[in-house]
Amino acid sequence: MRRLFADRLAFATGVIVILTSILFAYLRVAG
Amino acid sequence: MQLLYSWRGAVWILVYLLFILAPLFALLVAPLPPTRGFWTEFSVAIGYSGLAMMGLQFGLTARFRYVTEPWGEDVIYHFHRQISLLAVGLVVVHPVIMFAVQPELLALPRYKEVPWGAVFAFVSVFSLLTLVVMALWRAKLKIPYEIWHLTHIALAIVAVTGGLLHMVGWSFYLVDPWKRSLWIGLTIFWIGLLLYVRIVKPLFMLRRPYRISEVRQERGDTTTLVMQPDGHPGFQFSPGQFAWLTVWGSPFRITGHPFSFSSSAAAKAGCVEMSVRNLGDFTKEIPKVPVGKRVYLDGPYGAFTIGNPADMHVLIAGGVGVTPMMSMIRTLADRGDNRPVILLYGSNDWESITFREELETLKARLNLTVVHVLANPPAGWTGETGFINAKTFKRHLPPPYSDHEYFICGPGVMMDAIEQALGEMGVPMAKYHSERYSFV
Repeated sequence: MRRLFADRLAFATGVIVILTSILFAYLRVAG
Repeated sequence: MQLLYSWRGAVWILVYLLFILAPLFALLVAPLPPTRGFWTEFSVAIGYSGLAMMGLQFGLTARFRYVTEPWGEDVIYHFHRQISLLAVGLVVVHPVIMFAVQPELLALPRYKEVPWGAVFAFVSVFSLLTLVVMALWRAKLKIPYEIWHLTHIALAIVAVTGGLLHMVGWSFYLVDPWKRSLWIGLTIFWIGLLLYVRIVKPLFMLRRPYRISEVRQERGDTTTLVMQPDGHPGFQFSPGQFAWLTVWGSPFRITGHPFSFSSSAAAKAGCVEMSVRNLGDFTKEIPKVPVGKRVYLDGPYGAFTIGNPADMHVLIAGGVGVTPMMSMIRTLADRGDNRPVILLYGSNDWESITFREELETLKARLNLTVVHVLANPPAGWTGETGFINAKTFKRHLPPPYSDHEYFICGPGVMMDAIEQALGEMGVPMAKYHSERYSFV
């Protein structure tokens, strides 16, 4: 269960980073 | 304690995300270079984020007690492993998208005309892939631990430095001197974290050595090392915690191994004990450690410790997993704690039960029940046999099961089975604690 918690934390980090990268690209293109 | 850890844990997650995302968004501050397409900018963003995640790996493994306490070292190291795969994935996808969007980048120029920014990108990605292959298949590749660890550190430094030089060399966002300084500063900070754990911390350890004052043989091919602080007062630990022990060589060598304390946390004069079972690897040398030998301890670490409100403590140990439980039992006895303690203790056979006699003696000092579960019971044995499971709990624990505080330590397979059984019995995750030490 503890490792599952770490897995979920890593997954959530990945989702946040990818969503933020999309936001970054959008802000750049939208000017 | 649990609530404090939850708050601290949440704060550290925010700090972690801030260290990844803030330097990325700093690139959006004016002056800005010309806008490119969405996919190019997205690819650049994941490249920068991937590099920041790789750099922060040095912080995750820097053994900052204040950072690791809310989760425990095992969770941190597992997160380190998983996040590295994610970071490598981002760093690899970055050029793939760039090549897809701008296929002209694939047209290789002549050797001498390759921009140095591209050379460092290749060096960084190649180092990362080598690092991951070596980390995932170290055992299969039969790479000795110390060589692997040194290579792991060297490749990580090359990967992070190569990534930074690629960004600087590409001369796009980091043309701006402030943004360039920020990312160079961050890289220096990340590598500084590594220097802290590999140079500064060992320097402190060197000034705080321990001496072996007794080497005691225990049942079950286990040896207890009794260690006294040499010229300093030692440290306070909580029962269930562990430290990295360096027996052979200086603390600068990467030969430290994590072991739980088995002694009482209430012991005076900073004296600590560790009980180590001979598992055929470096542990076979432990019985040969001479009395008087100077050793080094880096600790204490770990969140596997008593202290939360509980009506009773349920300790579940398999084999040498009993060592942190012994520390808890001895400490509770020394503190005069009269809450019930149940030790469910799985062993191979009657003769190999480490601390068997002392556990019987301790029953006189606290409300302790010991349930031995033997895989190979002797003739006439009427106690528990086989392995600890949900049925064993129900035979020995009073309901409601979710009111007790559970501690599990033993082989990975046993811990998986017990965690599942506790979940099925409706015990919330916050009420049971387990730590796995196979993170090196």
